[in-house]
Amino acid sequence: MHVEFLGVPRQRAGVSQLEIHAVTLGQLLGTLATQIPPLREFIAGDRLHSSFIANLNGGLFISDPSTPLVNEDRVLILSADAGG
Amino acid sequence: MPFGYHGCYLRIDVSNGTSRLGTSQYVPLSDTILRQYLGGSGLGVKLLLDEGAAAMDPLAPEAPLVFAFSPLVGSPLTTSAKFAVVSKSPLTGRVNDSLASSGFAIAGKRCGCDAIVVVGRAAELSVLVIDETGIRIEPAREYRGATCQETESGLKARLGATYRIASIGPAGENLVRYATISHDGRHAGRGGSGAVLGSKNIKAIALRGTQRAEWANPGELTTISKSLSKRSFGPATAKYRELGTATNLLTFNRFGALPTRNFQSGTFDEAANLSPEQLSTTRSKTRESCVSCTIGCEHIYSLGRGGVRVEYESLFALGSLCGVSDSEAVLRASKRCDELGLDTISTGGTIAFAMECVERGWIHTNEDEPWLTFGSGDALLRAIDLIGSRQGIGDLLAEGSRRVANVVGHNSIAFAPQVKGLEIPGYEPRALQTMALGFAVGARGADHNRSGAYEVDFSDKVDRRNVTLDAVHHAIDTEDKAALMDSMIICKFLRGVFEDFHAEAAEMLRSVTGWDMSADELRETAKRIVSAKRQFNLLAGWTPAEDTLPERFLSTPLPNDPQASLSRERLDALVAEYHRQRGW
Repeated sequence: MHVEFLGVPRQRAGVSQLEIHAVTLGQLLGTLATQIPPLREFIAGDRLHSSFIANLNGGLFISDPSTPLVNEDRVLILSADAGG
Repeated sequence: MPFGYHGCYLRIDVSNGTSRLGTSQYVPLSDTILRQYLGGSGLGVKLLLDEGAAAMDPLAPEAPLVFAFSPLVGSPLTTSAKFAVVSKSPLTGRVNDSLASSGFAIAGKRCGCDAIVVVGRAAELSVLVIDETGIRIEPAREYRGATCQETESGLKARLGATYRIASIGPAGENLVRYATISHDGRHAGRGGSGAVLGSKNIKAIALRGTQRAEWANPGELTTISKSLSKRSFGPATAKYRELGTATNLLTFNRFGALPTRNFQSGTFDEAANLSPEQLSTTRSKTRESCVSCTIGCEHIYSLGRGGVRVEYESLFALGSLCGVSDSEAVLRASKRCDELGLDTISTGGTIAFAMECVERGWIHTNEDEPWLTFGSGDALLRAIDLIGSRQGIGDLLAEGSRRVANVVGHNSIAFAPQVKGLEIPGYEPRALQTMALGFAVGARGADHNRSGAYEVDFSDKVDRRNVTLDAVHHAIDTEDKAALMDSMIICKFLRGVFEDFHAEAAEMLRSVTGWDMSADELRETAKRIVSAKRQFNLLAGWTPAEDTLPERFLSTPLPNDPQASLSRERLDALVAEYHRQRGW
């Protein structure tokens, strides 16, 4: 699926988006932590640090590692704190 | 008297240059009151209620303006150097509490009081000086028309560099209803406290003190402070350290939640031009911190020979909301607001509203060609100067969007971007519907600092575009938490570092005050403070009809996101449930 990074995750990833294959959110995060070491600070096992959040296709925010994903999905990774 | 406090407030009538109470200028505050309201916003609202301020004209001489400190001010706890400015708002006619940071808070507390209440009106433009020699009013005629920064630096040169100064700019002098009070480049921004100080003919307050409040358990406080500082360098604050609040811009744009062209859209095609990622490619950047802060959220971008502090709310209000994508114009506009002492959110909101009225042919500027148009950086800068000086169309715009709508007519109030008269911050209510509820019920009007309901929208607790009654208690929790943080006082940018905020807050307060506080007691304290604000508004004439949003948000889905739709029936149900859960 397509992964988009916003804000600090984008800065750490060094790219704004990439393609990854995973069948669950937990698997996706594990793959990201392996492929992009600077993101490990924000990923503990198969979960994001509580200050970060994932979003599915611009709609619902997701945190359960078992959340199923399909190839057509777009997963956004961003800071959970939207304070301005 | 508990530790961490001085057990009194200082009440000053500036009409005659001395305290109304003569030699007994310091009014005692009981342990009970301090424990019930803590400080900051809570104590400020309590003092306003005691003064009977709700029934007063906020710009009348007798109307009180409260500068409230807190038990944590002056402690080694990171981000605790903050103060609240509390009054009846000349913009909303409701309670207003705005916070600012840095040395003024510490200096104020060292003056030996927990709050300063200013009433009266000086005979001429003056500076109120409080130092170890006493209280005095000095003429400040030479600062008429001076910017906030010119006033602060001028007074430091005159009085001494050890004074800490809060000042108003020309906007405050001219009673612009959303004028700020500035200190060290930061602003108590919302609701027009600068106009209240201006109505008292006080250009600035200069403080220097030597009195320290003792801490109950310095050892425990040091341990807590070290732990908190260490955590403040972690992932929970990375956003603020590395990119600043401005990083919201592209994120919100991605989610269709970036208010654009007076809330006619939730996306701005040219948002990238204003993003910190883009600004960093063409401008040098430095970071600054408030006194006693380890986060360092302030990102200062080069602008001409100087720099400008860039925040999301300023970028959105002066950028996308006005359709302006020229970053040079937006940064200059932000800096000009800082100089004049104008709240950037209300300035941008009012100008954007006027731009739409001009587009519809409902506002005429006595010139052949309409100039106040969406997308024009020149128009934005021109309008800001006119507002600050109350010249031309600026005299009307200085009243805020609600009053402008009442003058314009044509039912333009339906799209005036305000709640209770306070312009809406940069969170599109249709795309962030828990925040929509937070805006609707906010005591000081549409506000992102007194309700953190956007946290709920950016979580898996709700569907942000289809919020149900289940969201209400989450919204209440964020409002209560904000009330507590604004009264202790500690910066909200720390909120992500706490595992159990109320428990840790109780530990902090226990180590400073010696009170055996529990998390549950603080939960009750927060509700008491929210209720006190409500009580103030009731006395000021609040009616349930005020707890709503402008018609635009309830009748028109976002153009690029039809799912982002909020009906009046659903908002009314959310508000009713909020009132029910509050027990109101």
